[in-house]
Amino acid sequence: MATSSKTNRTTRKLLWTLFWCVLAFVYLFPYTWMVLTGFRHGVDTISMPPRFIFEPTLAGFKHLFEVTGFQKYIINSAVVTIVSVVLVIGVSAPAAYALAHVSRRGGALLVAILIARIIPAIAIGVPVYLIATRLHQLDTYQALVVINVAVNIPFAIWLMRSFFMEVHPTLREAAISDGCSEWQVFTKIMLPLVLGGMLATAVFVFIGVWNEFLFALILTTSVSPTAPLAMLGFRTQYGVQWDAVGAAAFLVSTPVIVFAFIMQRYLVQGMTMGSVK
Amino acid sequence: MTISQTVPRDGIAVRRHRRIRISTMVWFTLPAAAIMALVLGVPLVYSFYYSLTGWSLVVPGSDQDFIGLLNYTDILRSSEFWASIRVTLIYAVVAVSLECALGILFAVLLNLEFFGRGLFRSLMLIPMVITPAVVGIFWKLLYEQDSGVFNYLLGTLGFEPVPWLSLTVALASVIIMDVWQSTPFFTLIILAGLQSLDRDTVSAAQADGANALQVFRYLTLPHLVPYIMIAAAFRIIGVMADFDKIFLLTLGGPGNVTTTLSVYAYNTGFKVFDIGRTTAISWIYVVFVLAISAPLIWRLFRGASVNRH
Repeated sequence: MATSSKTNRTTRKLLWTLFWCVLAFVYLFPYTWMVLTGFRHGVDTISMPPRFIFEPTLAGFKHLFEVTGFQKYIINSAVVTIVSVVLVIGVSAPAAYALAHVSRRGGALLVAILIARIIPAIAIGVPVYLIATRLHQLDTYQALVVINVAVNIPFAIWLMRSFFMEVHPTLREAAISDGCSEWQVFTKIMLPLVLGGMLATAVFVFIGVWNEFLFALILTTSVSPTAPLAMLGFRTQYGVQWDAVGAAAFLVSTPVIVFAFIMQRYLVQGMTMGSVK
Repeated sequence: MTISQTVPRDGIAVRRHRRIRISTMVWFTLPAAAIMALVLGVPLVYSFYYSLTGWSLVVPGSDQDFIGLLNYTDILRSSEFWASIRVTLIYAVVAVSLECALGILFAVLLNLEFFGRGLFRSLMLIPMVITPAVVGIFWKLLYEQDSGVFNYLLGTLGFEPVPWLSLTVALASVIIMDVWQSTPFFTLIILAGLQSLDRDTVSAAQADGANALQVFRYLTLPHLVPYIMIAAAFRIIGVMADFDKIFLLTLGGPGNVTTTLSVYAYNTGFKVFDIGRTTAISWIYVVFVLAISAPLIWRLFRGASVNRH
């Protein structure tokens, strides 16, 4: 009897596994189709009926790099993203540490940070464009970096603050009683302790900046457009090269998917700014 | 010896250092606060000033026309504005409700016992992180009326082709695209809620004769409510600010059937170049979003100020 209930259990597990194979296949079909499009001749994508079985090709990638010059967009994205992530973490970490140790006095600052996080980007789009024009910073890396840094600071502070708050406060208090300065406590004791959380925050900021579209649309034209903006170029082209679009979509989305997998443990905490763990 | 030193330290000496000094506070937060004030605060103030002018980039010298609240009253009387509010609200309410329902379903299904559970939990996250601009351009291909794969699949099942991006269907298509991308967000958070549910309570209820449906209705669902609320709050804010996907799929069209508040603000600023009007729209938009997200701000703030130790 014990064995029969065990077989039952295994059968049930197998059935649910089968069910999930089907469900995941159906649900992820748009993504799969996108990836396939990148490795398929353009005519096979828009032929009717669409070709599910096809001769794989790298023609889309070739077109992308040789005709569209997509490498420029990818390099721009990489530069803007990496510089922004470093700056965001650099200025947010000390702020997050300090704000983890305020009781009520930091309240106004905390609310300001939350409001800054929630204001929609488009609401400052026009004035940011006007200011950038006046400062002659349109279509530059620095304009894009500055705006991306500012937009991501509130999120980074809030999330890192939740990691600093997990460290028991007596640790800091004892170190200070022993004569450590606040800066030493921060760099020597706290940073090593919250390293995992800081890396996770960095990855979330990376994903945010890498995926950013609106400010790239407003602030760039020919010198510093990022990869998501290239998608708009594909849209307005007459007679879309779908194999190239698929290849571009694959190249743009793969890094963020890989990063999300690596950081899965922190995903819930990151997505809810530390309010769910 | 060590004991005699540490005991008073815990009690009295340490208490003195509990709070951070004001000067430390200022130096640690200054760089971040300065960047936020200059890059986010200044444009907001700037935009409020311009919302009181009749400045249009196509009318030279019009940046000096101080017209008071005329932009605001004009906008509140314009049918385009109310149309965009309507689209935004329909989009937000329908998309978030569907995502919530599907998210609960997927989370419950992912919480069952089956082989490769970890793998499927990871795979189901993929749509959530894909660059929204990529999702927009890609769903345009899927939705193509004559050569799109959706209509082909519908055809093989014996259905008529759907004009996905037409006047009547486009908003639904935008919603479907968002439901696809954002349901995993709900799944992720609700699954975290399910995993924190006390198994002993469930076993006890089952021992008392509760069936699966009763367990779900009276134990699981009440336990999930706070998780669902948090996910919904974050998603509502996200949906309100949504721009990239819609812009790449439909550009707000056809006509203005998918013109949300964000697309409307963008078009007024960067197609019509009416600075006074678009900054006024931005301010209405900010107030609108803050009013809706006030409960979440309050909750995050309260949750954050409670000391966990």
